[in-house]
Amino acid sequence: MRLRFAAAAGFAVLFVLISAVLAYQRGSRRFQNEYEDNPAPLPADASEKTEYAFARLRYESGRFGGYWGNYAWATDFSKADRQFVQGVRRLTRIHTRSVEQVVDLDSDEIFKWPWVYAVEVGRWDLGEAHAARLREYLLRGGFLMADDFHGTYEWDVFQLSLSRVFPDRPVVEIGNKDEIFHVLYDLDERFQVPGIQYWYTGSVFEKDGVEPRWRGVYDDKGRLMVAICFNMDLGDAWEWADHPRYPEHWASLAYRVGVNYIIYSMTH
Amino acid sequence: MFELLFKYPSAVFEKGTFVFLASWPAWVLIAAILAVAAALAWHVLRNRGRLEGRRPVALWLLESGMASLILLLLWQPALSVATLRPQQNVIALLVDDSRSMAAREGDSTRLEQARALLDGGLQAALEQKFQVRLYRFGQGIARIRSTSELSGAAGASRVGDSLREVVAESATLPLGAVVVLSDGADNSGGIDLETISEIRRQRVPVHTVGFGRHQPARDLEIRDVALPARALADSRLSARVSFRQHGFARGKARLVARDGDKVVASQEVTLAPDGVAQIASLVIPAGAAPGARSFRVAVEPLEGEENRENNTLTRLVNVGQARRRILYIEGEPRWEFKFIRRAIEDDRSLELVSMLRTTPNKIYRQKVSSPKELEDGFPAKAEELFGYQGLIIGNVEAGYFNAAQQELIREFANRRGGGILFLAGRAALSDGAWARSALAELLPVALADTAGTFHRDPATAELTALGRESVICRLEERGDKNAGRWKKMPQLADYQRVGDAKPGAVVLMQVNAGSGRPAPLLVTQNYGRGRTALFATGGSWHWQMLQPHTDLSHEIFWRQLLRYLAGDTPGQVVASTPRPVLNDDGRARLRVDARDKAYCPVSNARVEARIAGPEGASDTIELSPQPLEEGVYTGEWAVAKPGSYLAEIIVRRGEEEIGRDVVTFAREDGVAENFGLAQNRELLEKLAGETGGRYYTAADAKQLASEISYSEAGITTRETRELWNMPVVFLLAITLRTSEWLLRRRWGVV
Repeated sequence: MRLRFAAAAGFAVLFVLISAVLAYQRGSRRFQNEYEDNPAPLPADASEKTEYAFARLRYESGRFGGYWGNYAWATDFSKADRQFVQGVRRLTRIHTRSVEQVVDLDSDEIFKWPWVYAVEVGRWDLGEAHAARLREYLLRGGFLMADDFHGTYEWDVFQLSLSRVFPDRPVVEIGNKDEIFHVLYDLDERFQVPGIQYWYTGSVFEKDGVEPRWRGVYDDKGRLMVAICFNMDLGDAWEWADHPRYPEHWASLAYRVGVNYIIYSMTH
Repeated sequence: MFELLFKYPSAVFEKGTFVFLASWPAWVLIAAILAVAAALAWHVLRNRGRLEGRRPVALWLLESGMASLILLLLWQPALSVATLRPQQNVIALLVDDSRSMAAREGDSTRLEQARALLDGGLQAALEQKFQVRLYRFGQGIARIRSTSELSGAAGASRVGDSLREVVAESATLPLGAVVVLSDGADNSGGIDLETISEIRRQRVPVHTVGFGRHQPARDLEIRDVALPARALADSRLSARVSFRQHGFARGKARLVARDGDKVVASQEVTLAPDGVAQIASLVIPAGAAPGARSFRVAVEPLEGEENRENNTLTRLVNVGQARRRILYIEGEPRWEFKFIRRAIEDDRSLELVSMLRTTPNKIYRQKVSSPKELEDGFPAKAEELFGYQGLIIGNVEAGYFNAAQQELIREFANRRGGGILFLAGRAALSDGAWARSALAELLPVALADTAGTFHRDPATAELTALGRESVICRLEERGDKNAGRWKKMPQLADYQRVGDAKPGAVVLMQVNAGSGRPAPLLVTQNYGRGRTALFATGGSWHWQMLQPHTDLSHEIFWRQLLRYLAGDTPGQVVASTPRPVLNDDGRARLRVDARDKAYCPVSNARVEARIAGPEGASDTIELSPQPLEEGVYTGEWAVAKPGSYLAEIIVRRGEEEIGRDVVTFAREDGVAENFGLAQNRELLEKLAGETGGRYYTAADAKQLASEISYSEAGITTRETRELWNMPVVFLLAITLRTSEWLLRRRWGVV
């Protein structure tokens, strides 16, 4: 009897200890994610409350996930995010958090982050409910930067979901004179920014996405709600900006475009 | 009774001077009284016998009183009083001939009562001693032969103006006194101090005889409607309606505002107890179309109301079409900046020119009118900054502005009359060292000189009682609905702790962060010619992002806040009139405040008013500088016909045109006499009291004939009235002696 009681007490103590350890780990991993594609170290000031955080959209890929399954949204995550915001902090006066914020269309949390980044959108598959949520987010004043998708097939996949978000709004080429290319840096001279695949293919484009396209969706008052970086991979440029083999001029343009998109979304 | 005891009417005592007729000086009397009192004290003390305590003192007082009275009479006290010489003075009888005097009360009208009083003996009694001039007054004054010429048809009664005219005649006539028979329902703004002092200077007593009930049995009357004379298109106006009722206490009434026949606002109110002045707010949309708007604000007639004509007042509002430019300086990119800009993007009345510090060395400008505007950063010259009507200082530390710019910002509110709004932020307010800056006095709250006051934590905005009434916080027309909507608003993204509101500042919202007492969130105050406000958050954008995109709460709030900020900012030339609606009044007074580009008063300008009215009426007048107010010019214009008028004011200095402004006014006839129907006894008493006259009711007005003689105006003679034989003196003597005798008997010392 006494042995049983001792064993039960032992199990209870063990359970409490294990729970405490897990809770601690959970707390310290608040900004870590099991889907991290390229994990980056957690900065010491990760918990700082700031005006802006790099919000990464966690979307569903459904039937278009392919090799990525349902995790295409996590491409380059979290190194690209954290490396890019270092640049935002250094180059602007935006009070920026050192770590990203992952946001879902299911949660109201997304509305607290009016700038959101979606990667590999040639693999997203938004249902009607998610499309409606994204539309509402954008109409309230949110801003979406879509990046890292290439060629006709991925464009069609992207368009399929985007047309559910805005059935009646066209996707148009953003003109050189648009404020988004001048709000901080004058970006009249833009070129294709390839991803890391350039190392092993030697090609600046992927699939049949030869021409870089700077496209967007405007609201009724001529303000960009969605900025689409098609046939390029700015996320990779942010991610590998510190790598000696990744050319500086591509990383530099990717940073400047990203910074302009953020400041545009905070001013328009 | 008074005359029975004191022999003379009270007027003799009020007007007369106390004198002694005996040749001995007054100090001898005092010395004699003291000596007799001392001798009596010595006598009483020596012979007090069994009397102890206060009893000998009481006997001494009675004996001394009697002795003093005898001594006083030996000095022959008298009153010296000026009296009008019979048959040599003129008495002016002014009878109110306005429509309110035709109001029937009981069997007769007020005018019939006045006529009965005059014809029943008062006029004849006066005519026995004086030359009597009979006048009737209304909008003007006219001499009449008899009371039969009174009709009770004048559209207004101007007691002050009429008196001024009559008193002016005393320069050539021996005017002994003026008698005003009226209900006191003056509706031309009362009697000004100038008139009162003119009458006092002439020493002409004005006696008043009041007619009419002091209060109606069942009536509600709008007393005033305070509505801004100018408004921006699409803005909301707060009308403060003051009214009073009798006979409908705690009942319900409906306040309604109409633009033409269209009801633009309405609200139900619960009526206060009888006779208590009540104020209610009504939010009226100014409308989109520019130009002069005429709003009729009314309390819907109540069942059984005696007078339904006093339930409506008309007010003119000039809806301007000029866009108000507001300069917004923001220290760093942030969501609040973006959403404020979006909120007023569609507003036709406001334009937000912004400068944003995107990097340590770059400023991003939006809505600038030319590439030159704000090219060198925040304005350093008055002409540049004063070109805006409002200023928003966002998340910017105080040290960003140099000393000259700080002084310019202060003068922007103080001299230019602009509005300044301070927002919260990690480099704003206390965290931006504003508490230590010279501009701390601009803020409507006290700031603690400490850091760490800005918190990026959710907090709830709560309306205060004043906030519920304010048009800034009015998201819904109806007050209860508005309060309910604010309760459902999402939490703010952040807030900043500030100290208490300064005296005179108005707290419209408080922030509740869940712990600690609520702190001021939205505070406004007047500063100099302008105003300053504080909104202690940079996170109101949550009201936009956390509510459906169709919800316009955020937009409405910001538009109203910025309209408050810049809507009332004056231009270089500001024209106004104290009474835009002239009720049965034929004089429009114009006032112009002229300033140069640095908003310093212009004293050597030529100010012209071009007036256009109904049926092609037009005129041009020149306004004169006011001697005591630099840069202020005034003028008066006779409004001959009822209708709406527009005056365009043009201010020039030499060849240079300083600016223009427009002011509208209207004349309405047949309205004024519907208001203030109860007898205004307060006015009549004040008039009599200030001029040395007396107020009489219709019942006791017969005494007037005997009392009116005592006056220092006109041709007078000084008469002496002895006082020794007043019955009250003998009564006093008997009382003193009898009291002493009775006390002595009671105490056994007879």
